[in-house]
Amino acid sequence: MTSFALSEDARRAAETIRGADIVIGIPSYNNARTIGHVVRAVSAGLAKYFSQMRAVVINSDGGSTDQTRDAVLSARVEDNHVMLLETPMMPAQRLSFPYHGVPGKGSAFRLVFAMAKELDAKACAVVDSDLRSITPEWIDLLLRPVLFAGFDFVAPYYQRHKYDGTITNSIVYPLTRMLYGVSVRQPIGGEFGISARLLRRYLERRDWETDVARFGIDIWMTTVAIAEGYRVCQSFLGAKLHDAKDPGADLSAMLEQVVGSVFILMQEYAPLWQERHGSKPAELFGFRFDVGLEPVPVNVERMLQAFRRACTDLREIWQTVLSPHTLSAIRRLGESADGNRGTFRLADELWAEAVLDFALAYRAHPLGRGLILRSLTPLYLARVASFVGETEPLVAAEVEEKIEGLCQTFEALKPALARRWRGEPSEDAGAAADAEKNTANLEV
Amino acid sequence: MLETMKEVLQDALGRLHYQTTNYLPPLLAALTLLLGAYVAALLVRWLIYRIFKGWAIDKFLRQSGVAFLVDPSGRLRATRLAAESAYWCILFSGALLGVNVFGTDLANQIVQGFVFLLPKLFIAGLILLGGTWLGQYLGRSMLVWAVNENFPTPRRLAAIVRILIVFVAVVVAADQLNFARSVFLAAFIIFVGGAVLAASLALGLGGGGMRRFFEERRERVEDPAERSLWSHL
Repeated sequence: MTSFALSEDARRAAETIRGADIVIGIPSYNNARTIGHVVRAVSAGLAKYFSQMRAVVINSDGGSTDQTRDAVLSARVEDNHVMLLETPMMPAQRLSFPYHGVPGKGSAFRLVFAMAKELDAKACAVVDSDLRSITPEWIDLLLRPVLFAGFDFVAPYYQRHKYDGTITNSIVYPLTRMLYGVSVRQPIGGEFGISARLLRRYLERRDWETDVARFGIDIWMTTVAIAEGYRVCQSFLGAKLHDAKDPGADLSAMLEQVVGSVFILMQEYAPLWQERHGSKPAELFGFRFDVGLEPVPVNVERMLQAFRRACTDLREIWQTVLSPHTLSAIRRLGESADGNRGTFRLADELWAEAVLDFALAYRAHPLGRGLILRSLTPLYLARVASFVGETEPLVAAEVEEKIEGLCQTFEALKPALARRWRGEPSEDAGAAADAEKNTANLEV
Repeated sequence: MLETMKEVLQDALGRLHYQTTNYLPPLLAALTLLLGAYVAALLVRWLIYRIFKGWAIDKFLRQSGVAFLVDPSGRLRATRLAAESAYWCILFSGALLGVNVFGTDLANQIVQGFVFLLPKLFIAGLILLGGTWLGQYLGRSMLVWAVNENFPTPRRLAAIVRILIVFVAVVVAADQLNFARSVFLAAFIIFVGGAVLAASLALGLGGGGMRRFFEERRERVEDPAERSLWSHL
């Protein structure tokens, strides 16, 4: 069982409240500007859709210095007539605690989950504190499948701008889908609904002090739910608009935490994913509609510049990570990356092979993992630059088709990955020659 | 005249006889010891190759990640390293024993000096090995950081870190061996002083460049086009 102990304040609050049917967790760190809106939307959602249930909203804070916790506790919930409610609103209990341990979203969730367990909640949902597009309906969509349809895990399904969620689109979604055979479109979305059964399973695990404590938490929750056979579904929430998480955050550190979590779980569930073939989509709830999306600006020149430099400077490290034919294709690409940004292409096959090479190297070199993952950043930037160039004239549906194509490429490479994972020869000479030919034909 | 030449010749022959009778047996013994050491070294090398291959040491080091840290190119083989080290150690010990057979003061001094130095050599070797490894590791970390941060000269920066750490290791190892202590200490002080001076000059002369780098970094961090990359996972 978990060794996590609630703080004295939290334990006393749980004893006072005695129990709850629903717990909503909101992790925060200096989100005073936006968290009030989130708390209001959550409270309204609980009052509107779950008025007969006892609910607690818990803010798990990382030591904010901008009165975030005050904003949570003082947020005024809208009047009943605004929400068109017939019965008076029963405001949910609101609590705010600082969490302890490794600073990060994962540690914040741990406190929420422990409180939910202590309160014997039937369902728990977590939402980010920087959301600007959250509505009361989100709470219904995240909790109803758990409370009334027997699902254990509800992942969000958003409409996002084509350049938004690039780590999801280029690595996490295709890789998770390929490995575990379930298509969850936003595996690191940030908003989830969780059953009491799954929540207890999360708390039992012993890897809370790893990257899970930080940005790895979202993919960890999704992967555990899918891999261990819990009932998983998705809810359409509309558009996701939110503030930048941390302007000072380091891209390569975030990539390291997210991708590192995917790779480490890939090792844990290796026997399981090697048995699974193909993929099927997780059930999707909610009424789908089109929404206007905020444009996401990208600086392709800077990405290509970083990639070009890395082709020269990181050659030594990439040599250890990438297979020879992938490396030579990448190097050729680097040499020609100074051309027109619109014509630069990092093909799906090459990108998928590179990601899988990184996964294998991550497993093979336990002491050099940080270095290996951080050296993925320039390659990831090249992939984003390529994706931007490819999808510039495309509409959302066409972009989704492109991402679907990437997922299928990953799935096609799965048998070879499984062979290499088991230490068997990856390809015969013919296949290697084919791969060489494919990479030579890269559209540059 | 003839008498003198005869004396010189006799004297030379006498010395030759003396040296032959005195030094030939130990020489033969030394050569025999060297030959024996050579055969033993070959045997041990062969045995180590066999045993390490059986234990799959290289595979273990590769899988544990130690090999990646020491030599990312993957060319280093622990089996080869151990076998070659044992081979040369035995050969060198054989040579020392051979020298010892002569029983001269010089030979005794060499052997005694070496035996006395052995533990220090071992520790100095470990220091050098550790320093080299640390230099490699931190150098590579610096390289990846500098590339990701768009630093102007990442390879140079990584090389500086590597050289600095290896140099510190060399100074400590030399100190351990009492070898040219003052020379190395002076070199170290000059090196560090030079580095500080160079850094000061770089900050002074290239201050504009540094300021530009950090300003660019700040702009990049605050640029919506950049923030979108990591604020929307």
